[in-house]
Amino acid sequence: MDISREEAAEALQQIDEMTTRVKRAVANGGGDVLFILWGMIWIVGYLGTQFFPIYAGWLWLALVVLGSGATIFMTWGRMPVSSPVGARIGWLWFFLYLYINLWVFLIYPFLRIKGMEYTFYLHFGAIQATVPMFAYVVMGLWLDHFMLWIGLAVTALTLVGLFLFPSYFWVWMAVTGGGMLLGTGLYIRYRWRV
Amino acid sequence: MSEIDPIIHQPVRLRIMAALAALGAEEQLEFTYLRDLLGATDGNLGAHLFKLEDAKYIQLTKTFVGRKPRSYIAATLDGRKAFQDHIAALRAIIGEDPS
Repeated sequence: MDISREEAAEALQQIDEMTTRVKRAVANGGGDVLFILWGMIWIVGYLGTQFFPIYAGWLWLALVVLGSGATIFMTWGRMPVSSPVGARIGWLWFFLYLYINLWVFLIYPFLRIKGMEYTFYLHFGAIQATVPMFAYVVMGLWLDHFMLWIGLAVTALTLVGLFLFPSYFWVWMAVTGGGMLLGTGLYIRYRWRV
Repeated sequence: MSEIDPIIHQPVRLRIMAALAALGAEEQLEFTYLRDLLGATDGNLGAHLFKLEDAKYIQLTKTFVGRKPRSYIAATLDGRKAFQDHIAALRAIIGEDPS
């Protein structure tokens, strides 16, 4: 089969374009929707904690249950790329939250010091925020450095808010942490869209 | 010396193979995602996939998610090699070093 030099060049360009689009889709892995979902959950949860602290525990429980259910629904057998890595990532998140809740349960009786309840809740909130960021860092090391930097950035912002703006920590987390997750999802969705 | 593969060189099939070759060895693309990626219709994509499967360049896997059927497509080892040979042939035509 004979083809012209121009036709060959055009074919190679099409190959490059398709390769770039698919690799970005794989790297994204549907994460744009998940970033947007959990960004909105963080914003609602942290603002709720700031302004309705009495209901914070129930609010977060409801948000996490809804968010987890939505995440499983959106990712189980519905991702554009099927990969054994994707399934293992799902199990990573499951066991990560299982273990962190186990550790909190084990040390909880020893953590609540009278007179320091508010400080305890701030630090507990910071732990809850940095647990998923640890998962991002791990996934970023193995899969995509983009997630590594998101994980480290939100962790740093969490610590800044905890130690420099404790009185406004929940609003800080809603704006910076939730905002960063939401913004990341929107960036991926519109910058890397197919 | 590598030669142009007429099965792969058709524009839609070329892009199909490029998409599949961009995946890792254990990864597969879902049919509707591939269809939207290519801007093709179900029938058009299906016809091209049949041609590539007949040449043993791709493998189709059909499964169910709930009650909805889903098809996943992956390049075979022969398909990946054929695609790489095709790229080498294209580069040779424009005078590039195939490596």
